[in-house]
Amino acid sequence: MAQSANDRRRINGPEESFTPVFDDEDEDIKLKMQRSRAPGDIRPIFLQPGLISQANGSAYIETEKTKIACAVYGPRQSKTTTYSEKGRLNVEVKFTPFSCTRRRAPMRDAEDRSIGVSIHQAIVSSIRLELFPKSTIDVFITIIENDGIEGCIASGSLAASTALADAGIEMLGLVASCSAAIVGDVIQLDPSEAEARASSGTVILACMPALNSITSLWQSGQMTTSMSLKCMEQCHERCIDIHSIVAQSLLEHRRTD
Amino acid sequence: MASISKAEKAYVQSSLLSNPPLRADGRGLIDFRTIALESGIAPIANGSARVSIGTNAQDGGGGTEVVAAAKLEVESVGDGEGVDGGRVVCSVSCSPTAYPLLSPNALDDLQHDMTSVLNATLSHPTIRPKNLCILPGRKSWLLNLDVIVFSDAGNIFDAIFMAARAALWDTKVPRTKSVQYRAKKSDRSDATQAMDMDVDETAHVGSALDTRQTIEVADFELPDYWDEGEPLNGRQAWPVCLTLNLLPALHFLDATLQEEASVPLKLLVFYSFLSDATPLLRGMRLLGTGVSDLVQVNSLLKDGEKYARNVWLALEGKLKDEDLRRNQKARERFLNR
Repeated sequence: MAQSANDRRRINGPEESFTPVFDDEDEDIKLKMQRSRAPGDIRPIFLQPGLISQANGSAYIETEKTKIACAVYGPRQSKTTTYSEKGRLNVEVKFTPFSCTRRRAPMRDAEDRSIGVSIHQAIVSSIRLELFPKSTIDVFITIIENDGIEGCIASGSLAASTALADAGIEMLGLVASCSAAIVGDVIQLDPSEAEARASSGTVILACMPALNSITSLWQSGQMTTSMSLKCMEQCHERCIDIHSIVAQSLLEHRRTD
Repeated sequence: MASISKAEKAYVQSSLLSNPPLRADGRGLIDFRTIALESGIAPIANGSARVSIGTNAQDGGGGTEVVAAAKLEVESVGDGEGVDGGRVVCSVSCSPTAYPLLSPNALDDLQHDMTSVLNATLSHPTIRPKNLCILPGRKSWLLNLDVIVFSDAGNIFDAIFMAARAALWDTKVPRTKSVQYRAKKSDRSDATQAMDMDVDETAHVGSALDTRQTIEVADFELPDYWDEGEPLNGRQAWPVCLTLNLLPALHFLDATLQEEASVPLKLLVFYSFLSDATPLLRGMRLLGTGVSDLVQVNSLLKDGEKYARNVWLALEGKLKDEDLRRNQKARERFLNR
């Protein structure tokens, strides 16, 4: 999907970039590997709906080093002329060039779309798209700082669902999402990038806790079936807590309005 | 990918839900169509396979047809994306003839989505073959696995993963020999003086003035040998995919295009069954607009494991047959000419 021609309107940086190598890198990695919280705990979540005033709905989420802004536009008329009975949900994910340790060229690449597809899968079944014929709902997600794909997908789904609620779009329920990684034989919830890299397998689960239904499952790496089910159960439990965070933040936002 | 009318959708759904369940081609819910597999179809590739599901026996048309081929290339570790120990990169491309109704953009998106599923499962570090390393820390093999979808008559993911597994099973990694260069030693006999290039097995006679601790292996060569190399390490581990198509009350396997278009949700599970070990789940995806719940997923995984084991055993048998056909039997035929 990457465009071959450079965007002339930008100042294009060098084609490749390398992270500086520090002497104490090994110790640094060890420090990063040490998890300061219990295996079953997730990183603290800061969630603020309505930060982008020009959008119909928006949300900003921060879980330690993952920072994501999400804006929802719509429902608005589809640009295509073909009639569609159901509304279309369009999720676009963009990384800022400074979001990762290595600079990301400001062009759409493969990873953007796969994260977009995962987030789409997580939220699409919560929206009552049958109420919006001929229209499109656009969800734009900007990843300002990236600390692992798992965290991005989980927090991104959470932000998108919050922003959709903030936009007043009818949904069946709020979507909460949580990830888990298997390191050794311990299940660590909400892994950071370093933890996910050290793990043998990861699971991302998105669900609507209010309806007790799962909207998305995404597992990679290797694990036994029972371990995978255990991960899903733990994620699901944690999603109930996350759900209350989302509900709380939406409620507070409405009060201050 | 087929878009079907509401009436058609309701017709397919209600016949699946009727008792006994009815499918257009008379199969049971967990029956597969016939699967044909042939490996070694691309002589230039390091490993290749073709899989077709549900092809007509009479005219050989009208099924899902997928070709996978693995190609190895040498890559330097450190610059660019090279990783010590080699890596596997997968791609899926769909021929426009497989999806004549899709616009080029939609086709791009589709093949990209298929690529990301294949890549996430097969390039994971936990499944990387051990013998992709050429010179530790310097050079390694990059395994490009390209899958091409020629036609899609439903159940595309199962076909893609079957072809991928067969192609990787078939892949031969060329043998390499490390080579090091050494300066001529004046105090050594004429015979060794003539050799300015030594293979690293030979014991190194260091001079007293030599302060270097280790002699780095400089390069590698490909010895000329009668076979094409050795198979990938741990080739048993490549998973099979099983697509469970979910209607709220039941699930069925190997959906045709019409059936695919009329179910709201499908669950992909990737399993590998190594002998004397518990089955390993190597990936899982929920695709579609429906919802599921933990209880359902739990029972689906149990059933899925059972079905996947059947697929696995059938594929394993076929792959061993293919090995026999292409090696031992071909040799015998050659001798008995």
